[in-house]
This record gives sequence, structure tokens and C-alpha cells, in this order.
Amino acid sequence: MTASKIISDSPVRPTAADTELLASAQATALAVRDLYQAAVAAGAGGEHVACLVSIAAHHDAYAQSISSLIGRAAPQARDSKVFSSNKADFGSDTMATALAAHALENSLVAAHTALIGELVGTEGAALIASMVIIEARHVVALAAIAGKSAIADTDLFLVTPEAASADAQTTTTIA
Amino acid sequence: MSNSHREEIQAFSKIVKATQGADFGPALQSSLSRRRFFIAGGATISFGALIAACGGSTNTGIARLGEAPTKTELVDAPVTDIALLRTATSLEHNAIFVYEAVAAAGLLSGDAAKLAARFLSDHKAHAEATASLTEKLGGTAYNEPNPRLQSIYIEPALRLITGDDASGIPVTDDPAADVLALAYALETIAGSTYQVYVPMLADSALRAAAIGIGEQEARHAAVIGSILNPTRLVSTFGLSIAAEYQETTDVPAAAYAVPTAFGTKAPVPVVLGAANESGIRTSLNLETPSLNSMVYEYLDGE
Repeated sequence: MTASKIISDSPVRPTAADTELLASAQATALAVRDLYQAAVAAGAGGEHVACLVSIAAHHDAYAQSISSLIGRAAPQARDSKVFSSNKADFGSDTMATALAAHALENSLVAAHTALIGELVGTEGAALIASMVIIEARHVVALAAIAGKSAIADTDLFLVTPEAASADAQTTTTIA
Repeated sequence: MSNSHREEIQAFSKIVKATQGADFGPALQSSLSRRRFFIAGGATISFGALIAACGGSTNTGIARLGEAPTKTELVDAPVTDIALLRTATSLEHNAIFVYEAVAAAGLLSGDAAKLAARFLSDHKAHAEATASLTEKLGGTAYNEPNPRLQSIYIEPALRLITGDDASGIPVTDDPAADVLALAYALETIAGSTYQVYVPMLADSALRAAAIGIGEQEARHAAVIGSILNPTRLVSTFGLSIAAEYQETTDVPAAAYAVPTAFGTKAPVPVVLGAANESGIRTSLNLETPSLNSMVYEYLDGE
């Protein structure tokens, strides 16, 4: 038995800089939600349409949680750049959509991992961490929906393309 | 002796006299009225306090009955970044232990064995990474399985799968299925542990490094989930989506590639082993390491 106490003295609530970063993350989450919804509306999904609908709901939940964390600073509108630059890939073709979504989720994992390293407040970092864990799982589900094999295409399931640079960033700045 | 003490003794003597020669047979319950019960009880307590007060104790001056054991102070063990990293390394070694034991026993074959070998390799890399970070912070890396988790989760789970003659545990009916179920739970908990550590770590760079490993554990769990439940990759439980997309069952499956909208901190249940004579199998609930399961540096000498 131990009398333990956590020594981190980081602020709990988001700082002003955190709020700006989290606002951007909310806009991205809304754009990603809309991309999935656009694909489903176009007829993508096939036997896995419920998966696409559910993943859209996950990103909507992320936007809501960020909104509750930063309040009025939340933009409550999608990042139009993220939406428009990916819209063409989220069409009626299930496999093409799944592959596009796979790449997008992978980039979200990398971006949100980096974001956690920038956030000062622990509530924001904890929330983004809980999103990253599931975005990584999204990647795997989408690879499977795209018809890829976890054996033949293992790295497609397990490796974050930007992971190498993210690791370099996070392991060289330790005091 | 003070006047109050004398009065207490006198009151107690009266109670004793009043009960001397009384019939304490079957009528005891009815003859000892509620009021007298309280009087007797109060007098007894007062007399006890009196004895304690008049006793030879010179320590505290506080009246007490009996001998209290000496209080042992808890070890003051702050949850530092080093303690968190050492615990993370120990958890990686729990996973390494499992995959090596499974490989040695030949419990998996074919594609499942190939995946397990890949996961083993990843966990070794994670263990090296967290050990290296520990040393960069000036700590001593802990390159062993977490002893607490090993004894309460890993060893019992493996015994349920492989059987244990000494304990009378039979071999499970489908070892490969049980290994996958255990691996799914273990990988999920590994991901959850890094997620839980994010707000506990003081260094924000370490938080990113931690979740960078955690998301890879989550991918392992998702791959296993996709094997165990290939027709429903994403759970719809708890989501506000149209009924036509909802699962047509009231009970969530044991595994999904994507079980929830957010990474969970909840225990992960896993059902293992052969059924007993009642048809019931053993269920273990795996949880992220508690504060008392962490590998503090002060434990190294013990």
C-alpha cells in the first residue's frame, strides 16, 4: 500500500492557447463527420454502412465534447478546407471511401498525437487522448472495410504514416 | 481518585448488586428491560474508561480499551513521470510474457500466430522506448513484467487456458479463441493505460509519446476485434443513430474493432477457460494499473 499523489502541476482547464488549438480540432471533427455523412448519402458503405454512420457519430461526439470543454470559443462549424479538400474522395464507392477515410483517420491520429504534446491543460489533453485511441481503431476498421488483409497488408493496419516524425518530435524535447 | 470516578464506581456497584442472584435463564431477554440494558451498558463502558484512566498508561492520556496495534505509516510515493514510465514498461513486459508463452506453447497457428509475432515485436519496441525515456529522465528502467498484474491477471488467465493440474483447472476447450480473447482485453487495457497516463504525466512531450504508443496498442486490439467480430466492426451501442443502423441485439458483442466513441477507462471483461459443471466459465476483469500497482522506484530494493 502506498500513499501516492500525482505530482503534475499542469493546469486542468485549457489555457488560451489550448482553447485556440481545441477550437481548430472541433472544426476538423465536424468536417470529418460531414465527409462520412456525405459518403453515406451518396450510397457508400454496402454491408458496412452502419460502420460509416457510427464513425460519423463518433466525430460528432468529439465535436460536442470539445464544445463543452471550451464553451463559446467553439466554432460550431466545420473546417471548410478539410471538407472541400477531401469531399471528392468520399463518394458512392465504398472501397474508395474507406481508403480515403483510412488515410484521413491516420492523419488525425498523427495530428492529435502532436496536439497532445502542445496542450498545457490536462482536461484537453485527456479528451484528445481518448479520441486518438478510437481514431486508431477507426483506421483498422476502415482498412478491413476496404478489403485489406491484416496479414498481407499489416502495416496498413498498424503503422501511422507520420508516426516516425511524431516520435522524433516527442522524444527529443524531454528536459 | 476524582469525585466523578467515585460516582461511576458506585453506579456500577449498584448495577452489579441489582443483578446478583437474578435468574438469567430463559427469561433474561424479557427481564432485562431496554432501559436497564442501556444503564448496564453505559456503566460497563464508563467502568472500562475508568479502568483505562486509572491504568499505568503514560502515553497519550486518551482513554481506550485494549491494546491498539502500532500504526504503520504508508510509504510516500509520488506518481512521478519516472514511476509512470516504469509502470508502462512493466505492462509491456506483461504483454511480452503472454505472447512468448503463447508462442512457446504453440497455442496459435497460421495467421493468428503471425499477428501475435508482430504484436510481440511491437511490444518489445515499446518496452525499449519507455525504458529509454525512463533513463533519459534519470530513472532506472524496470525491465520485468508488472508483478501485481502478473499475479492477478496474467498467470491466472494463462492457467485457465492451458490448465493446471495442481489447481485442478482443466485445459480450455478452444485455446486459440481464449488466447485471442485475452489478447484483445490485454491490448485494450494497454491502450487505456497510456490514455489514462496522458493527464498524469507532467511533461507534455511525454504525453504525446505515451499516446503515440497507446494508439498502437489500440490498433492491436482493433485487429483482434476485427478477427473476433468481422461482421460488425463498429459497435453502435450508445450512439444516437437511426434505428436501421443499430445492432439487432440487446447485448454488445465481446469484441469489436471499434467498441466505443471514446477510449474507455473501464475494466475490460474477458471470459476464459473450460466451463464448470454448471456451464459457467471464468470471467476476469482487466483494469488499468491502479496507484498501488505502479512500479515506484522505492520498490526496487524490496
